[in-house]
Amino acid sequence: MKVLYAEDERQLSVAVVEILKMEGFDVTPVYDGEEALEALDKDYFDAVVLDIMMPKKDGIEVLEAMRQNGNHTCVLMLTAKATLDDRITGLSTGADDYLSKPFAMKELVARLQSLIRRNNDYRHSVIKYANIELNSNTCELRSDKGSLRLNNPEAELLTYLVRNVGRIFSAEEINEAVWNGKESPEKAELYLYYLKNKLRQIHADVAVVIEDDTFELKEELS
Amino acid sequence: MKQEDLRFYGEFAPKLEEIEQLLMREIQAMLDSISTDPETALAEHIKCRVKSADSLCEKLRRFELEETAACAIKNLSDIVGVRVITHFVGDIYTVLELIEKNDHWKVVTVKDYIANAKPNGYRSLHVLLNLPFGVGGIDAINVEIQLRTIAMDCWASLEHQLKYKKHIKNTALIVDELKRCADEMASTDLSMQTIRDLIQKG
Repeated sequence: MKVLYAEDERQLSVAVVEILKMEGFDVTPVYDGEEALEALDKDYFDAVVLDIMMPKKDGIEVLEAMRQNGNHTCVLMLTAKATLDDRITGLSTGADDYLSKPFAMKELVARLQSLIRRNNDYRHSVIKYANIELNSNTCELRSDKGSLRLNNPEAELLTYLVRNVGRIFSAEEINEAVWNGKESPEKAELYLYYLKNKLRQIHADVAVVIEDDTFELKEELS
Repeated sequence: MKQEDLRFYGEFAPKLEEIEQLLMREIQAMLDSISTDPETALAEHIKCRVKSADSLCEKLRRFELEETAACAIKNLSDIVGVRVITHFVGDIYTVLELIEKNDHWKVVTVKDYIANAKPNGYRSLHVLLNLPFGVGGIDAINVEIQLRTIAMDCWASLEHQLKYKKHIKNTALIVDELKRCADEMASTDLSMQTIRDLIQKG
């Protein structure tokens, strides 16, 4: 479970990162709003913890930018000011939950776990992009012009690629990001070729573009 | 048969070709006894071959046997081979029943690599027959009938290419992936069979 944690108070950040790691989260700490947006641009996270009061861009601005960019990763807001207005602004901007400072570590962990669980339930249904949709329960991939059954690793790979449209990967990076390095770059490459053919078969408006050992899922009219 | 094969088999060549044709005729007759309508035919197609001299000699060397046609006919079972390709798994066992019922054929063994797939994923049903030969002092010959579905046949032809291509990168990965495809195809074969049974039951 990958978590981005944006918090400008270094001491608090160090303590929270330690505890979240002990609870099995893979935590990336950042210390201001701009850094948070950069990290979100580069990597996929299961959840984001945003402090409201941060330099450069505050938590609300980060959240607004995320949602505008079409990033729907679940967000937990941390607020020092436990005022009603703050909470409402956060939630109406698209935060999924909030926690007022000071908070009990146990509560942060529990809320994060519950958020990710809920989000995963949702995510396990249908992923849509361009003219394709992938049902991650049945691994059925369909477009408006056809359908196919993928196998599990193909579905995992496509899910990852859809979340990272336009990013260029090497086979090693795919293996790390999708399967935690448990498969091999060779297998990643083969599966990218499988997907390329399968997307073409259903006349998808997205294509796996392969160039000089790099791979990218790109919107392309079929 | 090619020139080099005719040369290798020598005096046995005409008899081998005769057996090949006999097998084809008899199997076709068996299939036709069930249905001649292409829509319900038991087999999609059947084909036969006499093993090429090249691959036969390679096999004899592997078994440390003398590289002669006579030695091969006495010791090996796949010099003459027939392959019956069916649409559905169930049809394979129907054809097997027909073969076993045939009075003038002696079935030596049946190896069911569908019920017991090989570790690499290979699936087929092999029937070994013992047929009269009567040339050059050899009384009988073993021949092999392979029964498989279109999906199994397609898989086997790809696996065959892998086996005879010496230098492939990522051999281990390709072997794993072929195994997965074999299992997926077996699963789809069974789904199709089940659907067909349901349709036929009405």
